[in-house]
Amino acid sequence: MRLLLALLALGASAQTRETNPYALTDRDALAKGRQLYSFYCVFCHGMDGASGRGSQLASSYRKHGSSDREMYRTIADGVPGTEMSGHWIEEDEIWKIVLFVRQIEQNASGRGQGCRADAGGDPVRGAALFQHACGSCHSAASRLGPDLAAIGATRSREHLRESIVEPDKVISRVFRAVRVRTNQGEAVHGLLLNQDQYTLHLLDVREQIRSFQRSALAEVVFPKESLMPSFAKSFSAGEIDDVLAHLCGGKR
Amino acid sequence: MTGRLLLAALVAQVAVAQVTQAQLVDAAKTPRNWLMYSGDYRSQRHSGLTALTPANVKDLDLKWVYQAKIVEKFETTPLVVDGVMYITLPPSDVVALDAATGVRLWEYKRSMPPRPQVCCGQVNRGVAIQGDRLFAATVDAHVIALDRKTGRLLWDTEMIDYRTGYSGTHAPLVVKDKVLVGVAGGEYGIRGFIDAYDIATGQRKWRFYTVAGPGEFGRETWAGDSWKTGGSSVWITGSYDPELNLTYWGTGNPGPDWNGDVRLGDNLFSCSVVALDADTGQRKWHFQFTPHDEHDWDATQIMMLLDRPVRGQNRKVLVTANRNGFYYVLDRATGEFLHGRPFVKQTWAVGLDERGRPVRAPGKDPTPEGNHVYPGVAGGTNWSSPSYSPITDLFYVTAREGGSLYFKGEADYKPGRRFQGGFANNERVSGDWYGAVRALDPSTGERKWEHKLRIPSIAGVLSTAGGLVFVGTEDGYFKALDASSGSDLWHLNLGGRVRASPMSFAVDGEQRVAIAAGSGLFVFGLR
Repeated sequence: MRLLLALLALGASAQTRETNPYALTDRDALAKGRQLYSFYCVFCHGMDGASGRGSQLASSYRKHGSSDREMYRTIADGVPGTEMSGHWIEEDEIWKIVLFVRQIEQNASGRGQGCRADAGGDPVRGAALFQHACGSCHSAASRLGPDLAAIGATRSREHLRESIVEPDKVISRVFRAVRVRTNQGEAVHGLLLNQDQYTLHLLDVREQIRSFQRSALAEVVFPKESLMPSFAKSFSAGEIDDVLAHLCGGKR
Repeated sequence: MTGRLLLAALVAQVAVAQVTQAQLVDAAKTPRNWLMYSGDYRSQRHSGLTALTPANVKDLDLKWVYQAKIVEKFETTPLVVDGVMYITLPPSDVVALDAATGVRLWEYKRSMPPRPQVCCGQVNRGVAIQGDRLFAATVDAHVIALDRKTGRLLWDTEMIDYRTGYSGTHAPLVVKDKVLVGVAGGEYGIRGFIDAYDIATGQRKWRFYTVAGPGEFGRETWAGDSWKTGGSSVWITGSYDPELNLTYWGTGNPGPDWNGDVRLGDNLFSCSVVALDADTGQRKWHFQFTPHDEHDWDATQIMMLLDRPVRGQNRKVLVTANRNGFYYVLDRATGEFLHGRPFVKQTWAVGLDERGRPVRAPGKDPTPEGNHVYPGVAGGTNWSSPSYSPITDLFYVTAREGGSLYFKGEADYKPGRRFQGGFANNERVSGDWYGAVRALDPSTGERKWEHKLRIPSIAGVLSTAGGLVFVGTEDGYFKALDASSGSDLWHLNLGGRVRASPMSFAVDGEQRVAIAAGSGLFVFGLR
């Protein structure tokens, strides 16, 4: 076999069906689906579909479509611009994974969608805190961080809490920080847009696109830290709950 | 000059002489042409043209581009014969171009049956030539012959039913009156083979199974019936030694890829080189680089033939940089192991014993949880062509540094379905991946220089007698390096991944270099 990764990116989108050929009553298909899920999905989504860095599956909300066909396509082709890659596996295996996700969905139905807004905290105070402390990077108009207006629908409360307290723990590849110093001594900090062997391009903290020849750079550093500071100290425990209540109660 | 005389003169000028077997044997002596996938039977991918040099390569300029209407990877190495270029497009089309201008002369478009099973893209790497005929393998597992002046189909032979996972992706090799071609499909539980077809009729003359079956040497290296689905595909063009009349082919991974429990034993002739009598297909010798492979380390690299002193004695050797991370030197008359050493970081073997067999490090097999092993699943190098320059006496190869997580899973065989027994992943392990073009001492594998690449490249290298090494990169550059030092002399962003190997030719007396990148074929020369 040649470059598996290349194929992972290509995916196997040529599905021939609109709906899942397997039903939740099919124990064999479900068991196989669980096994495949534990192979390919667990790393980002957690076995319960609620505990990983990836989108929360223990929910009926699907940002990229909740029909069988749309979920098939999401698994097969991935979601461009995110960490969700396509999967180079057989069509019926993808359907079995969809089946297992449906079961996760069903089991979660008692717990509501995404993260819970009613698990403590005041969403009104949280909205004001968010506007003040987070809004400059996490609004629809900002570019340095993800828009969090609908994050409550796809991420667990625990995951969001971790992101506020320990933002360096898991950094999305889509938001990779970079720090460069030019041969003239100018220091520039921002988000990586692209790089190749000879050039590097970033969005600086003033949201300006900056392009450099590598030969013009004295130093290129990819910090392990996120551009986002930790709010473990600047927010009280109660304030973190307020912000979580706001985030979890957002758009669905 | 009268009209008729003028016409006769023109006809004489454009009439293409037939490509003879003698020309193929002496391909390196006519560097204006590029007569086979790796340039010559020794697979050295070296051009004898001297016009491009380290001093003038900064003046390299685009001469023409041929844009193919494809989204699939473009992996062709063009052939050029007397001013006409022949390329293949995915899935299995053949196009003739005017080598001076890139204008298309004819096109053979093959209609494909539904869903041929090809693991890694419906690709094709090029044609072979002899006489007035071109030969190509197709992803629906046929071999075809075309008239090289018109593209007319002359014969079309099915190698095997493609629906069980077989395909043809590599450029065939013509030896005398036969065209040699193998089958891909190592991820589908095929039983691999190399075939020879009569170039005149398309009739099969011999078949060598790369998985030893009942009554054949090596049958006992496959537990139970596992030989029936043993993989060992063939998807890179072999080499040929006219004096020994032996043809050398690298073979792919055993099936299933990452779960060896269902195929206990060495699994001959997977991950091996086989030396076959070119007339009969009889095995003269074999050498297995990775017995009982469980990391998908196909030995489908170019088997390069060199004549050189080894331990004070002139030897006819075969050298290859293997996907398992080791560089090997073998005696190509006997298969005797002469030398081997790692050319990239590897953690799976303690070393090689005196017969070249790896001494395994413990605990490096795939596991259900994933096992981090070097080199990664795409190997220390992959199918990208190496080159050898007699000017510098160096072996050039694109190397890949980094490891993968290897997962073992279930392996249920169903005809025509993927049969892999797990998977491998690079994204969940630390990002220490990088690539390089490395120059090795051909006798020892010792590194003489390297040119680092930010991302490992799947593109091959070409060396030229003017003192250059050309290579393409994953981030879309085509570049020229100094063959003696590896310094970066020239580069250009072609705007698409390079997944092919460069070649060189001359037209109207001027040297050209060609490379496929993205969906375009780019041809360069001095401005």
